[in-house]
Amino acid sequence: MLPLSAIVALVVGIAIVAFLFFGAEALAGQTVGRLVLLAGLLALPLLLSLGNISYGLHESSSTRFCLSCHEMQRHGKSLFVDNKQALAAAHYQNRLVERESVCYSCHKDYAMFGDVTAKLNGLRHVWAHYVAGVPKKIELYKPYPNSNCLHCHDDARRFIDGPAHRPILPALYAGTTSCLSCHRVAHDMAKVDADELWQAH
Amino acid sequence: MTTPIMTKKIRRAAMLAGLGLGVQLVAALHWTPATFILSAVLGPPLVLAGGVLFLVAVWKNMKDKGAV
Repeated sequence: MLPLSAIVALVVGIAIVAFLFFGAEALAGQTVGRLVLLAGLLALPLLLSLGNISYGLHESSSTRFCLSCHEMQRHGKSLFVDNKQALAAAHYQNRLVERESVCYSCHKDYAMFGDVTAKLNGLRHVWAHYVAGVPKKIELYKPYPNSNCLHCHDDARRFIDGPAHRPILPALYAGTTSCLSCHRVAHDMAKVDADELWQAH
Repeated sequence: MTTPIMTKKIRRAAMLAGLGLGVQLVAALHWTPATFILSAVLGPPLVLAGGVLFLVAVWKNMKDKGAV
């Protein structure tokens, strides 16, 4: 459910439209009435729709939205595994990304149309969920790009000064060596299946 | 003066706009990826159709009266 404010706004909008439906005859006869009709039947519903879609798009980037499909729940659980080397778990548990949008933070491209591509991929996911069927093994559509990692780590001292990074920095920036060639475990599914989870004390 | 036809068209426009908002309300109450997509695909076009219908009704009425 969306927040109460969004729901109340829609209910009020519907009530106003209903009021205008019954008052149409009286209002349409006068200039002010027509302006009221214009505001109530065109401007207000359009604004509410824009607000609703905008909120929906924002909400569709949230972790709970991604994990609302059961196919992704193992990946969601992998955020909690007891493995400091697993990228998803390390980023989530150390708060290196916003927990509210952890999937989106790492799985959307930071290029110009990254958001659009991510949302279109989301449509493909919904299509797969309801119509085409989910593949047995969930995989990325393309190799994971270094640019997604570098969006945050790019000029971070710990990254640049890291002894393992120094010799291959140009290759990492050029994307010719994948970050995942060393950081091999993104989601530790073995530990998910073994139920080896980290818990804060 | 308004004609019964114009009133009918405005009511039809109100129904479309209300339906568009209603679709979005149902999706907001039962928020899932599928309902979000349905509400985004159905809601705004219905609202827009209502708005256009209203504008057309007003325009025709003004034209009939020779106001434009």
